[in-house]
Amino acid sequence: MTASSTMSTASASCWSCGAATSGAHFCAKCGKIQPLPKGTDYFAFFGLPQKLRIDSADLEKRFHSLSWKLHPDNFVRASENERELSLARSSELNDAYRALSTPLGRVEYLLAHNGMRKEGQKKQQAPPELLEEVFELNESLDELREAREAGGDAASTAKVREKLQDAEKTFTEKLEDVDAQLDSISAEWDAVIDADNNEATRRALMDRMNEILNRRSYIRNLVNKVAAELAA
Amino acid sequence: MGRTVGIDLGTTYSLVAYVDRESKQPKCIPGPYGSALCPSVVSLDADGSIIVGEPARRRLLTQPERTIYSVKRLMGRGPADVAGELKIFPFRIDPGSESVIRVRLGDRVFTPPEISAFILRELKSWAEQYFGETVDKAVITVPAYFNDAQRQATKDAGRLAGLEVLRLVNEPTAAALAYGLHEAQRGLVAVYDFGGGTFDISVLKLISTDQGDIYQVLSTSGDTHLGGDDIDNELQRVAREEIRSQFGVDLAADPSAVQELRKALIAAKHELSLADQTTIRFPLSDRRIFTRMMKRPEFERLIAPVVERTMVPVKQALADAHMAPNRMEEVVLVGGSTRVPLVRQVVEEYFGRKPHAELNPDEVVALGAAVQANILETGVAGMLLLDVTPLSLGIETMGGVVAKIIPRNSTIPASAQEMFTTGVDKQTGIDIHVLQGERELARDCRSLARFQLKVPPGPAGLARVEVKFLIDASGILQVAARDLRSGLQNAIEVQPSYGLGDAEIEKMLEESIEYAEQDFTERQLIEARTEAETILRATEKTLAHPEVEIDATERRAIDTAKAALQQAIAGRDYKLIRARIDELNSVTTPLAERIMNHALATALEGKNLDNE
Repeated sequence: MTASSTMSTASASCWSCGAATSGAHFCAKCGKIQPLPKGTDYFAFFGLPQKLRIDSADLEKRFHSLSWKLHPDNFVRASENERELSLARSSELNDAYRALSTPLGRVEYLLAHNGMRKEGQKKQQAPPELLEEVFELNESLDELREAREAGGDAASTAKVREKLQDAEKTFTEKLEDVDAQLDSISAEWDAVIDADNNEATRRALMDRMNEILNRRSYIRNLVNKVAAELAA
Repeated sequence: MGRTVGIDLGTTYSLVAYVDRESKQPKCIPGPYGSALCPSVVSLDADGSIIVGEPARRRLLTQPERTIYSVKRLMGRGPADVAGELKIFPFRIDPGSESVIRVRLGDRVFTPPEISAFILRELKSWAEQYFGETVDKAVITVPAYFNDAQRQATKDAGRLAGLEVLRLVNEPTAAALAYGLHEAQRGLVAVYDFGGGTFDISVLKLISTDQGDIYQVLSTSGDTHLGGDDIDNELQRVAREEIRSQFGVDLAADPSAVQELRKALIAAKHELSLADQTTIRFPLSDRRIFTRMMKRPEFERLIAPVVERTMVPVKQALADAHMAPNRMEEVVLVGGSTRVPLVRQVVEEYFGRKPHAELNPDEVVALGAAVQANILETGVAGMLLLDVTPLSLGIETMGGVVAKIIPRNSTIPASAQEMFTTGVDKQTGIDIHVLQGERELARDCRSLARFQLKVPPGPAGLARVEVKFLIDASGILQVAARDLRSGLQNAIEVQPSYGLGDAEIEKMLEESIEYAEQDFTERQLIEARTEAETILRATEKTLAHPEVEIDATERRAIDTAKAALQQAIAGRDYKLIRARIDELNSVTTPLAERIMNHALATALEGKNLDNE
């Protein structure tokens, strides 16, 4: 790896001809590639409103069309400044596409971009409605580990394994439920954007999304843990 | 301005290719021995000159301690990484090696990038001779699974060879590019690239857009230490064991014999790709002969574990692309090891379709590199490669845990921004440790570099430094930092964990210029000697001419000049040889003129002079 000497910074006017640019990829007047404005909105990068339900084929098309324009291949013989701007812009394009190409990624990005993603102090604590099932699951996990440490063979752990497999199934289904909740709250969000775009309503929705994300990551970890123990 | 070529810098062979300006097709450039394959072997001659390729390969048998092969295995690696290799490979690592390996050839030591640079320089000269033009830029291919240090080492090698490396392209992606051009195919493609020392698998999506074709890599995985070499080593293990038990001879002490045996086993491996059985015949130094028949089923049983190892990355790449094997619309085989029938069979069974192998598996990567070189050289669009980074990038956090900031299989260029601050009052520096890999703990990942951000002393948490990590289109990491409070660029000194620092490269560049001079001298010497021999033969012939009169003074002058030239040839001073050639020429010119006149006169008389 190398230390890069410069870091591109943006201004509101074109570095080459001085025309106003307002964050566009290229200067409308002279066509030169422009630096990234601070805190780019990934949705705006693709020319999209901040809506969560996106047609993925349309997003891919926008991604490819921008790739043709911004990729460093197009700037091999350009000035060093333009080469660096292309590197910054095209990496931002790829980062943006990576973030927005899945429904979950879009919600995560929306919250992070608006400073609304809060992982919560009680990250390790089970959501109340799951307490009982999580308790049972942890017992089974302990049982399996103890049996394994005691040198138990496949036959002696068969029963607890079966229990864990059931639990894995239950929690995988819960994960699907959470994803369905994300989908419906995304639809709600889009409706607000289309309607009055009320600040208070948006904040309330983002708070709810944050809660759903926290629950999702808790269940996700649980499923991964069970899968890892079963595979061990 | 010089030309741009595509180079496949392989473990076993290296190739150079270009796109023909008229046919628009990529072509490999043949070397002086007629083949486009340059064995990736480098040898240091007793007089200090460097020998590369076919002649170096022959010296593996005669001068193993001055010759090195498969150096790609050492690129960008530390001494601890290669401890396992040393049991099988006759690399002589210099004991002084710390972060960078140094290999001993005869009485000198070289870093792996320097040795690779000799190979690149050779290929560069093939291309220059072929074009009659300078070549100063290149696209070089690397295994997709190469990490940052291995990529940087490859780029350093290019620089040391006097080439501006416009881009590093992943080998399977290059192969897909060559195939796409050849077959005009679209859709989902898996490229299975099993070479001499590395294995890669890439899943690509080929898309037609209004502006042209996009080759988008969805995922990649691999093993940078899995290849045909491992098949050879499996055979080597069996043969050496049997030689020990049959003859009580341990070959370990005899590097020449090990190379001789390796050659015989590789031949046997090649034969078993075509025939059902082969006989390995290997004469021991005491003239006893080890003979061993091997049938294909036994061979396949032996190598099955090696082939099976390729399936781990294959499954990983498909899982990362969220694809089932039967979703692939094409499967492409690349690399010499895919000639092994068992490999083809395993791949076919897994994907449920017959793999493509129409293009020469040895050449296809170089051809793809040439296509990318052409795109960058001519700026003609119509084709765009979107590749990914094979490994996650992370930074070490509290307790030695790695926080991933750019996940693997992210399209490159890719970037991530991180904010850093101080933990205690009056702290003046923030230490950052950058790693690559998928594991949770820093000690299980690949250390790329450590650096310190300098901050003005103040209360804890006041400093705010933003660090931007950017992986460029070659898969190489760049780091820039900015102090958000002052708005100033924060200078970073990056010390690579395994690799050459800038100062070291500069020093090597100076040395490599000496080598360039030495290469030049070597070529001048050979040319001068050849010309001298030609003129000496011509002089002999003239002196023997029956109808020419030479007086004693003239003959003495010619004899003196001849002797002086013969003496000069024995030395290594090409300028002296040239001077002696001129001298001999000047004393023989009157004589030559007389012969010409005589011939003319004879011809006018209608006589035939052609009777000597």
